[in-house]
Amino acid sequence: MPLGNLASVSRFLPELAVTATILLLVAVHVVGKNRQSSASALLSLAGVGAALLLTALQPSMPAVSLFEGMVALDGFAVFFKALTALATIVVIFMSMDSAELSGKSQAEYYVFLLSVLLGMFLLSSATDLVMLYLSLELVSIPSYLLAGYLKGRKSSNEASMKYVVYGATASGVMIYGFSLLYGLTGTTQIAEIGRALATGKAALPLFLAAVMVAVGFGYKIAAVPFHMWSPDVYEGAPTPVTAFLSVGPKAAGFAVLVRFFYTVFASPDGAGGPWTLSSPVDWTLLFAVLSAATMTVGNLVAVNQKNVKRLLAYSSIAHAGYMLMGFVLLTPAGIQAILFYLVVYLFMNLGAFYVVILVANGTRSEDISDYAGLGSRAPFAAVSLAIFLFALTGIPPFSGFIGKVYLFAEVINRGVYWLAVVAALNSVVSLYYYARIVKVMFLEEPAEKAELAVPAFPRALLCLLAVPTLLLGVYWEPVIRVAANSVRLLAF
Amino acid sequence: MNGPADLIFYILAALTVGSAILVAILPNIVYSAIALLFAFAGVAGLYVFLSADFLAATQVLVYVGGILILILFAVFLSHRISDVKLSNPARFHWQAAFICLSLFGVLSYTVVSTSFPVKPGTVYQPSTAEIGELLMTRYLLPFEVASVLLLAALIGAALLSRPEGRKGTSSDMEEPK
Repeated sequence: MPLGNLASVSRFLPELAVTATILLLVAVHVVGKNRQSSASALLSLAGVGAALLLTALQPSMPAVSLFEGMVALDGFAVFFKALTALATIVVIFMSMDSAELSGKSQAEYYVFLLSVLLGMFLLSSATDLVMLYLSLELVSIPSYLLAGYLKGRKSSNEASMKYVVYGATASGVMIYGFSLLYGLTGTTQIAEIGRALATGKAALPLFLAAVMVAVGFGYKIAAVPFHMWSPDVYEGAPTPVTAFLSVGPKAAGFAVLVRFFYTVFASPDGAGGPWTLSSPVDWTLLFAVLSAATMTVGNLVAVNQKNVKRLLAYSSIAHAGYMLMGFVLLTPAGIQAILFYLVVYLFMNLGAFYVVILVANGTRSEDISDYAGLGSRAPFAAVSLAIFLFALTGIPPFSGFIGKVYLFAEVINRGVYWLAVVAALNSVVSLYYYARIVKVMFLEEPAEKAELAVPAFPRALLCLLAVPTLLLGVYWEPVIRVAANSVRLLAF
Repeated sequence: MNGPADLIFYILAALTVGSAILVAILPNIVYSAIALLFAFAGVAGLYVFLSADFLAATQVLVYVGGILILILFAVFLSHRISDVKLSNPARFHWQAAFICLSLFGVLSYTVVSTSFPVKPGTVYQPSTAEIGELLMTRYLLPFEVASVLLLAALIGAALLSRPEGRKGTSSDMEEPK
């Protein structure tokens, strides 16, 4: 039984904290004189920190439906709220250090960042088509603005423009899929839609609806063939924004993908899975093919890249492909593997982008060739980048390896051998381009010998990102337990 | 329903679809914008036909009265945009036509072959009060979230249209190599 509006407010504190911070930011910006001061960064840090704390304190047991069935409060939603809030905190620190963003008006930037965070909170818990669409737009529209934040830079404008055009098309297609579902069932509640579809036999419109909704969600997680926007957007956007887009909205995209498809097109056997397909549409095969295509295209195109941000963009497409493997299996262990991988991915990907920012602050370049000799010019940054890159490859003893082990193990467990083979081949390809950066950094002579100074505070933050990347490779037990406990989708 | 009601429906549908096609194929963007006006008005008529009075009024106010005027202003104020060469050139005619027609085929076959549950008979009753009540009860959260979205969009619009300060421009123009 869903809780009413008033009764829900007390279980909605993290979202309220973020909203209050957004309003405070606007007020401070209007009253304050200095637009470039770091006051808004600190204020947003406090706000997101409070939201993270409130999320951690939130009782997720038993799962409840809030606001007349608009959003769910379950272990799954709490996990994604904590994950996206953590990513936002790291990105705020990164933005404070970025030379690209210094000298720009600060308050608007953080208003957009926090609006996206609010959108991600709602997206990972939405259980109604209306709410789902609205929160998807709340993630998207401020993201367009963030991508184009460097107004004077052509590539940033291009990033924003491409993002808007692709985003509008994808959500248009998705809403058409929603309209088919609503037409078939006459309700916007995803749980009710799932129940209504389980009895019907209309295969063609259902398949069409599944494909159309997959376009909208596939765009958010940048899965092939809906990935076209991501390299240009990732290259043109300010680097902290790129880091944010590659982790936050992607994670929220996976959250909504799992919740939507597992509720509408599948039903759980008992509490918390495993799930069985409840309609005649076998979308798992569709997504298995998408997963294989995503990782293959991402990795193969990454091989030839000369710009680090572009390379990391293609690599993040490939990682979405790996994570999709867990999605098609319909088992709790598959979801658990995705959740664990997202945690690991957060640290290693944000870490890699952070080094890119620090290097760009010093050299004003994002070309791989300008990383030559970084090992001697800035040993600390170079070693950390090497750690993050090896973790992204999935080499033991780094955490990326454990993440991949869980994904591969479950894929083989369920007997989808062809997908496991494709993923294994892809990992080999990825080793080539990740290792190439490491080779350039340590084995090639720099054009310029001067030392690149990395201040103390970025060093500390790099450590905070590198330590979990290493530690989760040898001691991952607590995180995997949290992930296992979070595979609890609200069932009605 | 049949007779005059059907006739009105087909006129409205033809108006909507016909203008929508013109929006896509007209080479001059000003003409496209005018055609869009008729497409929006046709949709408003269809809403009336479905007894969605509030939605029809909103469609006229927001789309016909607001968004379209905005588009026209943008078109007229933009430098050289009405120049046909720059306007909206079309390329890949055949490929696009093939993809669009096959999509149209799939969608229309789906709509025709599926037996959607149909509401018996349209009741023409004012729906505004009911919508207002739902917005304050069942759809309160989406209503509030929409206001945050609008706030962010508003600030974004202000940011985009505000001229950059002199200080910011120098580092900004620089492309990373």
